[in-house]
Amino acid sequence: MSLLEIEGLEAGYGAQAVLHGLNLTIGEGSFAALVGPNGHGKSTTLRAISGLLRARAGSIRFAGARIDRLRPDQIVAEGIIHVPQGDMLFPELTVIENLRLGAYLPKAAAEARTRLDEVFSLLPKLRERQDQVASTLSGGERRMVGIGRGLMAGGRLLMLDEPSLGLAPIVIDQIYEVVRHLAVSGRTILVVEENAMRIAELADRMHLMDNGRIAWDGLGSEFLSRPEIRAAYLGG
Amino acid sequence: MEIFIQVIASGLTLGAMYAVSTIGLALVYSALNMLNMSQGALLAFGGYVCFYAMETLGLPAPVAMLAAMVVGGGLGLAIYLLVARPMLGSPMFETQIFIATIGIGSVLQSVVLQLFGPQPKAQPLNVPGGVSLGGVVVPWQSLLILTIALAMLAGVAWLLGRTRAGLAIRATAQNRDAAQLMGIRIGQVYAQVLMLSGALAALSGIMVSSLSGLLPTMGADPMLKAFVICVVAGLGNVPGAAIAALLLGLLEAIIQYLFGVQYAFAILLGLVIGVLIWRPYGLFGKRQVVRL
Amino acid sequence: MSAGRRDILLALGFAALLAMVPLVFGTRYIISQITLFFIWGIVVTQWNLVLGVAGIFSLAQMALFAIGAYATAMLAYYGAFPLLAAMPLAALVTVAASLLIGFACLRLKGAYVALLTLAVAQVIYLIVVNDTACFTNPPSGCLPLFGGVRGFSRFGDLGFRDLLGSKFYIGHYYVGLGLLLAAQIFCIILIRGPLGLAFRALRDNPGYAMSRGVGRLRYQLWVFGLSAFFTGLAGAFYAANFGVVGPIVFSVSMLLFLLAMIVVGGMGTVWGPLLGAALLMAADEGLREFGTLREIGLGLVLAIFVILLPRGLSGLRRR
Ligand SMILES: Nc1ncnc2c1ncn2[C@@H]1O[C@H](COP(=O)(O)OP(=O)(O)OP(=O)(O)O)[C@@H](O)[C@H]1O
Ligand SMILES: [Mg+2]
Repeated sequence: MSLLEIEGLEAGYGAQAVLHGLNLTIGEGSFAALVGPNGHGKSTTLRAISGLLRARAGSIRFAGARIDRLRPDQIVAEGIIHVPQGDMLFPELTVIENLRLGAYLPKAAAEARTRLDEVFSLLPKLRERQDQVASTLSGGERRMVGIGRGLMAGGRLLMLDEPSLGLAPIVIDQIYEVVRHLAVSGRTILVVEENAMRIAELADRMHLMDNGRIAWDGLGSEFLSRPEIRAAYLGG
Repeated sequence: MEIFIQVIASGLTLGAMYAVSTIGLALVYSALNMLNMSQGALLAFGGYVCFYAMETLGLPAPVAMLAAMVVGGGLGLAIYLLVARPMLGSPMFETQIFIATIGIGSVLQSVVLQLFGPQPKAQPLNVPGGVSLGGVVVPWQSLLILTIALAMLAGVAWLLGRTRAGLAIRATAQNRDAAQLMGIRIGQVYAQVLMLSGALAALSGIMVSSLSGLLPTMGADPMLKAFVICVVAGLGNVPGAAIAALLLGLLEAIIQYLFGVQYAFAILLGLVIGVLIWRPYGLFGKRQVVRL
Repeated sequence: MSAGRRDILLALGFAALLAMVPLVFGTRYIISQITLFFIWGIVVTQWNLVLGVAGIFSLAQMALFAIGAYATAMLAYYGAFPLLAAMPLAALVTVAASLLIGFACLRLKGAYVALLTLAVAQVIYLIVVNDTACFTNPPSGCLPLFGGVRGFSRFGDLGFRDLLGSKFYIGHYYVGLGLLLAAQIFCIILIRGPLGLAFRALRDNPGYAMSRGVGRLRYQLWVFGLSAFFTGLAGAFYAANFGVVGPIVFSVSMLLFLLAMIVVGGMGTVWGPLLGAALLMAADEGLREFGTLREIGLGLVLAIFVILLPRGLSGLRRR
């Protein structure tokens, strides 16, 4: 059964249109990856789903109901959690305050204690750093706080925007460890990734983005076994 | 020594009074990037509502103060709903809201003038007498103002630091988009912040008028001072604004003592302009990255 | 025909029409009101350059106007300069003051500039009204250096009384018209010319423009200084026209009135501010007897326009 269904989505900034009729469906419990060259609208897609950007046309359904007219806070309450590109932490708050804000809504707040333990066991570094102010963290630590904050919310769909962007190889490995854990946990996940090959090994389904549309989608294994697809859409 | 105590006492009273209205302004700027130029009129409104409640309706002082704060909060809410909200998404928001609130401030001030007339009035909320401290008589009025102001500041600090609503306000101020992704309804945060700021302005107006009397234009100077304090602290820096308010209050008292009342404000502003040339983003402000 | 050339022809055409007005309507009241429109017209066209074109949120514009007016009065009163010499000198004094204010304020970001320029204007006002020490003692009584709350009067005139007798105000009318024409042509050249282009580049794409060496601060200072010349000249002419200069030129309601003209007409446009000035002065004429209601109306107009029509009336055309 599909959890998220997007049809003919159009969105953009000011006069500039970025998404031109995007269609995307994500099945409940599946791990979907959205890949494509820089600037083709991957982040814009996530922003439209989470309501930070208003859709100009098309529809977004979540668990059967239209969400494209809801406010971002209502969409979060529906269970869509968006870990944005570039972390967007609250710079003057501590690590623990950032994490707590992830469980801001009453439903998540009720489970905050157990979730915090889960996050700390998944990202042990955060336990040591919990009282440090976010603006003084290293890039890798920031990313972990960003992901941890998203995990605090629970939710039914977790969207991660470029979780490995701009990190050192060893930190990328740690982040991938977390992503792998999430992949096998059975949650529904949509991840945007630069490194298509690496994410394809984890993903159930690959969605290749080209100029504001989905140009190809298929199984992760199919993507890996057909280099011509890579050549056609991702430039080799 | 006696003069020292006198200057300190009047400086702290001034500073505490400024701090109450300044943190309101700083809060609004930090959450919405909005400079509320109608703050001065809100101050006057607060002062006159208290006057009306006590003098005409015969209500006791605490009720009158509460009434003034409720009216101030209501006006703050109205300003959010009618003025700020319609232009929230605009790329020129900062300029637009500035100009619009100049207009609203003029409307509110004229309403006060229409209702109460141009003659100065005395604020009935006045405690006579004083207490002798080290040979100097410090008026009860000053001590009362200081106490209420400090209690207010503590209350706001508690609200921001210890409550869920306060956390939402701080989160919104630090990153609007991220706050929304946490499920915070930022429209509600904006409304709360403007209400709080309006209520604080009303209270500050009562304090100011209890010392220097009521006039429809009474809010103009305190507002400019509050803005100057915000600028010195770095716009949107709420704790910095409270500290800067106390410092500038003391400084003003010292300047008044040394050079006379009529030059205090001019010298103060001159000093502030000097500070800003030396540190363009305020004493406690961080250099802001210009978004490209 | 380029937009700039069209606008200049339009300006000359309007000026020619206005030049005929005194030949048709003789009443002193109408002529003096239009003369006042010329003065406010100069101020708003220049303020519009600063605000809408260069993107400097300056509220010191009325203070600059005041500097022009006071400098004229003081040069004539203390220095016995003829007004014709005092006026351009006062304009230069205004430019110097604007550069000082500019250096202090323009490095800051939008909101800071607004607050700081407002503070500067307030300091100047306070210095003027709070100075009570007598500088001279003319027969009319003690006069502080900056005129105090009473201000200056009896500092000479432009000489039209000798030339035209009781019709001297017509002379003022033509001087005002000439100044406004010059100021408006300066605006057109600035908005339609390379400097205007540079500012549009800075506004639309600051990063790119900066990397191409379009230094914001330097351009801003140029516009600030040049517009201060005409603003100071407007102040100087105000002094000459009315023969009195007092602290009323600093009043908040004056600032509000002029700001509303720009906003109503359309900030950043070539003709908007003048349109706004004409409309608001006409409306003000109608509201004159309503006292406080006038202020309420003015505030509401300002707020409603910013909320519902941020591009002003000129923006309607481009919808
Ligand atoms: N806030 C914004 N205002 C204006 N244009 C924007 C904004 N954010 C993104 N864009 C533009 O929208 C287009 C798509 O951007 P988007 O961030 O969705 O790309 P992306 O696929 O996520 O790229 P990347 O891999 O670099 O993150 C780009 O051309 C970008 O310049
Ligand atoms: Mg992206």
